[in-house]
Amino acid sequence: MEAQSLDRRFSLVRVARLLRNRVLDEASTIGIGAAIVLACNLLSLLVSHRAFYNSQGIGPSPWIVTIVLGGLLLAGGSLKAMHDGKSGTEWLLLPATPLEKYAAALADSILFFPLAAAIGAIAMSALLALLERAAGGPGDRVWAPFDARALVAWADYAVAALVLLAGSAAFRKAALLKTAAIFVAFGIAFLGLSALGLLAFFGKHGGSASQLRFFSGWLHIEGAGGNLSERAQKALAVGFKIARYAILPIFAILFGAARVAEKEARDEVQ
Amino acid sequence: MIEIRSLTFGYGRSPLFDSLDLRLEGGRAYGLLGLNGAGKTSLLKLLAGALIPLSGKAEVFGRVPAKREAAHLADVAFVPEDPWLPSIPPSAWLARYAIFRPAFDRERFDELRREFVIGEQKALSKLSYGQRKKFALAAALASGARTILLDEPTNGLDIPSKMQFRKALVSALSEDRVIVVSTHQVRDLESLIDPILILDKGRLAIELDAEELSTTLASAHVSSLEGMQVVYAERDALGWSALVARRGGDGFSPAAAVSSAAVSSAAVSSAAVSSAAVSSADLELVFNAALAEPSRLAAAVAGGELAPYVPAADMEGKE
Repeated sequence: MEAQSLDRRFSLVRVARLLRNRVLDEASTIGIGAAIVLACNLLSLLVSHRAFYNSQGIGPSPWIVTIVLGGLLLAGGSLKAMHDGKSGTEWLLLPATPLEKYAAALADSILFFPLAAAIGAIAMSALLALLERAAGGPGDRVWAPFDARALVAWADYAVAALVLLAGSAAFRKAALLKTAAIFVAFGIAFLGLSALGLLAFFGKHGGSASQLRFFSGWLHIEGAGGNLSERAQKALAVGFKIARYAILPIFAILFGAARVAEKEARDEVQ
Repeated sequence: MIEIRSLTFGYGRSPLFDSLDLRLEGGRAYGLLGLNGAGKTSLLKLLAGALIPLSGKAEVFGRVPAKREAAHLADVAFVPEDPWLPSIPPSAWLARYAIFRPAFDRERFDELRREFVIGEQKALSKLSYGQRKKFALAAALASGARTILLDEPTNGLDIPSKMQFRKALVSALSEDRVIVVSTHQVRDLESLIDPILILDKGRLAIELDAEELSTTLASAHVSSLEGMQVVYAERDALGWSALVARRGGDGFSPAAAVSSAAVSSAAVSSAAVSSAAVSSADLELVFNAALAEPSRLAAAVAGGELAPYVPAADMEGKE
């Protein structure tokens, strides 16, 4: 059975093994991160009798922010080993196809980490609530990411993680920073071109676009010559969502997979 | 079976291999020799699938390494000169990495690990260079792979380990397996590698098997080169280390050949050439001859007559 699976171009067994190896490799880093979060909350319990991660505040939950930032950091360095002068050769020659190696990194960043981190966060939040109550605080809040907002947060996280994963496949050093810089640069260029296009559009209709507003997921465009019709605004918003949640992730996945497939263990000395 | 046809590969603008052709058969341990930068490591990486050729084709047991199919990667074991190992103990390595190779022979690996005296508890990344090398060699030789590619395998090994490695390499040889050993330490492995392949200037300069070497060439330490069929010689404190042509097939003793040749020369009639100073062809001399005197070496191997040898220093004087 094992020998047969070697001939397969894609084997879920190998992906699962690669994923397990990744998780074990990352376990100590994630453990340190979790310990830091716990320590900060214990400190806050000592000082104010409240675990600040469980406190109601303005903006997104600290649990979500921590999980997203942690996941993005991991995704940004997800394929670091592939570029290393020494471990890179071992990585490339481990008997699994490049696609399987990329799929394992993707599954880790997009699915496994956020899921495992969320479960861990729920457990830690519950523990902190108990400790808060024991310390004389309210202890009445446990973080539970079972709502639509968490799903939207995950979708946004997944898109960003895919882009960072592609960046990790492309860049040898400072992949996260370089990817972020390129992403921002492309974003500015995209907005600039969009603005120019809209100006041209309004110009034709005897006005000029004076304001572009992104609000609640909808794109509002107002111009001196009159607002865009509701229908046109919706169409633009849908186009924007397709670009964000479909074109960008698909491009990132294909780009990253191609970079992994063509990666070579080139000796820098040569 | 490994076959390379018209393979081109290079770093930057200068090609390292330009239309390289090579065929390696099973059941042999090929010695890959060449100057620094000749492309030995690159050739091993191309065969393993870690590098991708610019053009041409490489096939390893019918598979194209550049495609990096799992079946190919599991059938190739490559040990780099300075192997990287993760920061986990050997038992964890077996559970996490060896499982990707269905043919991995756990018992053989344990045997080799015991022979090489590799600890079981220490994290692999914390092992010394020699220990890491031994671990990687044990893993490769127990991998069950039909292609074993070793880059400078004896570098960093202590003397008993070199002996153990030679034993292990011999026992790993089988008809359906190709072993390629890239090395500068030819004396460590000269009894094992057969044939030798010498890479020079992006091409295969010469391929010599052990039988050709033993029947056509010998090494001698002599006080004078006159009267001998010298292929190549290097001066040393006591005279010359020479690679000489044998007259194969006629029962001509290499010792007698050199002695009689040296003694028969009027100019060196008193030359002290002891039979003990004559031996089978020294691979370092063969290697240097292949680079410095390729046409003389080819002629000697083909059994042709050699013109009187003019040492490189004398040539420089004449120029």
